[in-house]
Amino acid sequence: MIVTYNWLKEFVDVDTSPEELCRRLTMVGLEVDSLKELGAGMESVIVARLDAVESHPDADRLTLCQVNTGSETVAVVCGATNHKTGDLVALAQPGTVLPGDFKIKKSKIRGQVSHGMLCSEKELGIAEESAGIMILPADLPVGRPVFDVMGWRDYQIEIGLTPNRPDCLSVIGVAREVAALYGQQLKIPAIDLHETAEQIDTHAAVTIEAPRACPRYAARMIRGVRIGPSPDWMVRRLEAVGMRSINNIVDVTNYVMMELGHPLHAFDFRLVADGRIVVKNAQQGECFSTLDGQEHQLTTDDLMICDGRKPVALAGVMGGLNSEVQEDTETILLEAAYFNPVSVRRTSKRHSLHTESSHRFERGADVDMVPVALDRAASLMAMLGGGEVLSGVLDVYPEPLNKKEIVLQLAKLNNMLDLSIDGASVQTYLESIGLDVVSHNAGTGDGHFVVGIPSFRPDLEREIDLIEEVARLHGYDKIPVTMPGGIVDAPLPPLSQRRQKQLRDMMVTAGFSETINYSFVAANAGVKTGLSGDDERCTPIPILNPLSEEQAVMRTSLVPSLLETVTRNLNYRSTDLRLFELRPVFLADEKGQAREPLSLVAVMTGRRDPQGWAQSEAQVDFYDIKGAVENLLTGFGIKNVTFESSRTQPYLHPGKSCALLTDNGSVLGCMGEVHPRTLSVYGIDQPVYLLDLDAELLLQQQGLNQSFQPLSRFPDISRDSALLLDTTVRAAQVFDILKKIKSKNVEEVILFDMYTGAGIPDGKKSLGIRIRYRDMTKTLTEEEVGKAHDRMIGTLCEKLGAEIR
Amino acid sequence: MKERLEQLQDDSLEALKSAVSLQDLQTVKVQVLGKKGSLTQMMKGMRDLSNEERPVVGSLVNAFKNNFEQVFAERLKQLEEEEIAARLVRETIDVTLPGRRAVAGSLHPVTLVTDEIVDIFSRLGFSVEQGPEIEKDFYNFEALNIPRDHPARDMQDTFYINDDLVLRTHTSPVQIRTMLKQQPPVRIIAPGTVYRRDSDLTHSPMFHQIEGFLVDRQVAFGDLKGVLTHFLNEFFGANLQVRFRPSFFPFTEPSAEVDIACVICGGNGCRVCGGTGWLEILGCGMIDPAVFDAVNYDDRQYSGFAFGMGLERIAMLKYGVNDLRLFFENDIRFLKQFS
Repeated sequence: MIVTYNWLKEFVDVDTSPEELCRRLTMVGLEVDSLKELGAGMESVIVARLDAVESHPDADRLTLCQVNTGSETVAVVCGATNHKTGDLVALAQPGTVLPGDFKIKKSKIRGQVSHGMLCSEKELGIAEESAGIMILPADLPVGRPVFDVMGWRDYQIEIGLTPNRPDCLSVIGVAREVAALYGQQLKIPAIDLHETAEQIDTHAAVTIEAPRACPRYAARMIRGVRIGPSPDWMVRRLEAVGMRSINNIVDVTNYVMMELGHPLHAFDFRLVADGRIVVKNAQQGECFSTLDGQEHQLTTDDLMICDGRKPVALAGVMGGLNSEVQEDTETILLEAAYFNPVSVRRTSKRHSLHTESSHRFERGADVDMVPVALDRAASLMAMLGGGEVLSGVLDVYPEPLNKKEIVLQLAKLNNMLDLSIDGASVQTYLESIGLDVVSHNAGTGDGHFVVGIPSFRPDLEREIDLIEEVARLHGYDKIPVTMPGGIVDAPLPPLSQRRQKQLRDMMVTAGFSETINYSFVAANAGVKTGLSGDDERCTPIPILNPLSEEQAVMRTSLVPSLLETVTRNLNYRSTDLRLFELRPVFLADEKGQAREPLSLVAVMTGRRDPQGWAQSEAQVDFYDIKGAVENLLTGFGIKNVTFESSRTQPYLHPGKSCALLTDNGSVLGCMGEVHPRTLSVYGIDQPVYLLDLDAELLLQQQGLNQSFQPLSRFPDISRDSALLLDTTVRAAQVFDILKKIKSKNVEEVILFDMYTGAGIPDGKKSLGIRIRYRDMTKTLTEEEVGKAHDRMIGTLCEKLGAEIR
Repeated sequence: MKERLEQLQDDSLEALKSAVSLQDLQTVKVQVLGKKGSLTQMMKGMRDLSNEERPVVGSLVNAFKNNFEQVFAERLKQLEEEEIAARLVRETIDVTLPGRRAVAGSLHPVTLVTDEIVDIFSRLGFSVEQGPEIEKDFYNFEALNIPRDHPARDMQDTFYINDDLVLRTHTSPVQIRTMLKQQPPVRIIAPGTVYRRDSDLTHSPMFHQIEGFLVDRQVAFGDLKGVLTHFLNEFFGANLQVRFRPSFFPFTEPSAEVDIACVICGGNGCRVCGGTGWLEILGCGMIDPAVFDAVNYDDRQYSGFAFGMGLERIAMLKYGVNDLRLFFENDIRFLKQFS
């Protein structure tokens, strides 16, 4: 909502600065978004008298003027012809910047120095067109800024209104708040309306067939108007509050709407069939063109203003193309009505038509303003359009809306606000904003008020609403700052929350950076990674009204987002990446209910170490991501997870990936190198390793309680063996066998080398195994260790066909 | 012999003193005291001495030996120190070469500010609650006093899943879910992801909020001011200027917006605060009786307050991030700045 400072001053006497006024408005709940000075920088355009006007000695069409600025007389060259000695004119002195970034400089014109420019209305930016320079009224003080003495200086105040305050969608409404703030009375200008003897009801009639949707409908008739441009003052005002001037009649409806807050509509009476207005619901499927040229299919829920034969306006939203004011319109049927907020809102939403009118009606217009706005607009139309107003109003208001009364307990108010405002002050606050204190029973400190609510405050319905009014008028800054009492029993966060945080922190320790991607992705995101169409993850939950195709469905997996993030980073030539995301995915269960399980996806690619003089350039591989997983599992005390290469995911390299299975067989997730096909779809040309975990399941795993193992005080002995094995033998088999032998002196088994190539026969690999032995009670002898080691290695040879190298 | 002995002593001690390495020193020692050393050789001549002379020369020899050992030890220590000093010089490295570091990970700035805010409120007895992101219309709107066909719905452009399900537009539904399962007193803080159908330079269709609410007997507006002022001072620094001004939210009444003195310009007015010196930081208010009604709390017995704030905005102010989109682009150059 935009108002101007001068317009406000027509309704309330206030002499505070615009800046201070805006601060006070903000602090009372009408947040001022911007304050702009109109005519800013025009102080150097002053009133000047023409002491002499002579022809330019060297140019026939120019005049050389001696211009009196009040303090001196300067020469100015002027090309206009409508000025004469003695006129007061607007002199733009050197240094002025006129609208359109037109800089005024002292200059020589045909050999004569010109100290500025005499301006036209157009050059001053106050009119679209003008002929000649502006001749000012003769009684103005010479030397003063023109914008000040002409009253053109104004301030545009833009207020970010909250939806509960339809009363402030008008100058009068904002002025009422200003009056309350400064202890002033709201000035309501008298309406100067002259009616002809002829009665409106001899020409027109109004019927309401839908009184719930339209409780009140009133009309006036103005005859003999001439459609034309509006006067400058009105054009300027409308433009200052963000509206465009159309013609004198339409401008009046907009002007009164901005001034009094009530939307109006002007029909060309010629086009109103049978001179009748009927307010009723539309017929299903009927077509109607609004005056913006849009065609709408109506439903029976749409309330229409009809004439004797057809709809002529979408009630409270927009008029029809078939009855709008034309260039040759002479008789106006002027509508002011009150429509039900919900009805207008539904129609406005249904037809995607949000207008100044619907905006006001759906928030709640003022039913009592109907006749006032009608009279104000009619008088302005008569004045600006040169017409005459017929006698009487067609005002159909079958069932006057109930006046609300609210009881306010003083004690409740003071308790909630921690204040002790006395009854008299509360009454003053309530009355300052136009509320009607019907009675005040001052009891012993806890009296109560019965407050009548005026029709312009539909938002005030309950006691709490009045408490808020008093609080904001009194000032939130006067409410004391306290701390809540009561005993606080704040338990530790639940285990799941703590473990989630722990998981996140472990990923960071492992060098991964946390990402947050949008929860919505393209519908084909799953298929794009390589999932088959019948995978559950390819049936995402769609959004009914997405912003774009790229954000059409809720993601079922974090994998597509992370791969896109890798692509984006590679495009910026950031090639060494470790990223993770720990957020929910969205799955529809059998009953169509959404589930939001937490998921963890991590990716790594590029160099293993940060670049540096002392670091290797080696690239990460499968075992880096596996190491990260193993650390996670250890951190959560989860043992016995198996890495099953036969159960993996379509977006992973089948030979370099595996699933993670818990000891009861549930799938914790998978990891591996991203499938080269998937990588190429994402335009990634370096190997990426990916971990995709069901974080929900991970966090539920009952980690083993950590318990202390006693330490031996005796020395260890290590034995290394190099074994030649078939390449098909997997490390897990070696470890399993060694684990089963259960020699009590085995402290640790380390696979310290894995080698194929020169010196090793085809189909074979060499594993270097180091076993460390130690006893709890004594120093082991070489002989004891040798025996134990032979048994360990011997079993491997026997069970896996291993040979000692 | 005595003269020869003295001569030998002078020469030997001189040799010890002029030895330039540990090896030289050992050589001198062997040359003098070794089996074939000069002193050893000379002592073979002792048997030719008279009984009177022998003890005299013997004591001279002993004195010589002691002297020699003493000088030897001194020189040895000196040479050892020199050698260590030389070795230390030899081994000197360039300590300004970068160290061998592990890859550093980082938390997202939104996570960082969430943790910090949760920490502050935890110390005031608030516990964390969470709720679903795909939310029922009832929890997201109806129970929060935002009926269908009400203009207050325009305050939040909504993504719909179907007629009854939306992507939650705020974290406030957590209020409803919590109050429906728990009787007062409650002190809850609820961080989470929210969605609004709006995308431009200053709006992201997905962002994060943190919601807080407290319900108990006799909670007054001043308590709301107290808790939030405490929080803002903890988070942005003590003595930060804070102001509360009237506003409107359907689920609170009286409602307020909270402004803090601009953390960029200190309240003098700059581009970030639009010249006002103030930054809008959060919305809050006393919980509306209609909300209590929806969760079957008795508003004659209980009162409470609620507040909510946008976490990206807080992070932007805290870290000076100037572009909202950076939070969701996940550029590693951005993320690493929060290591």
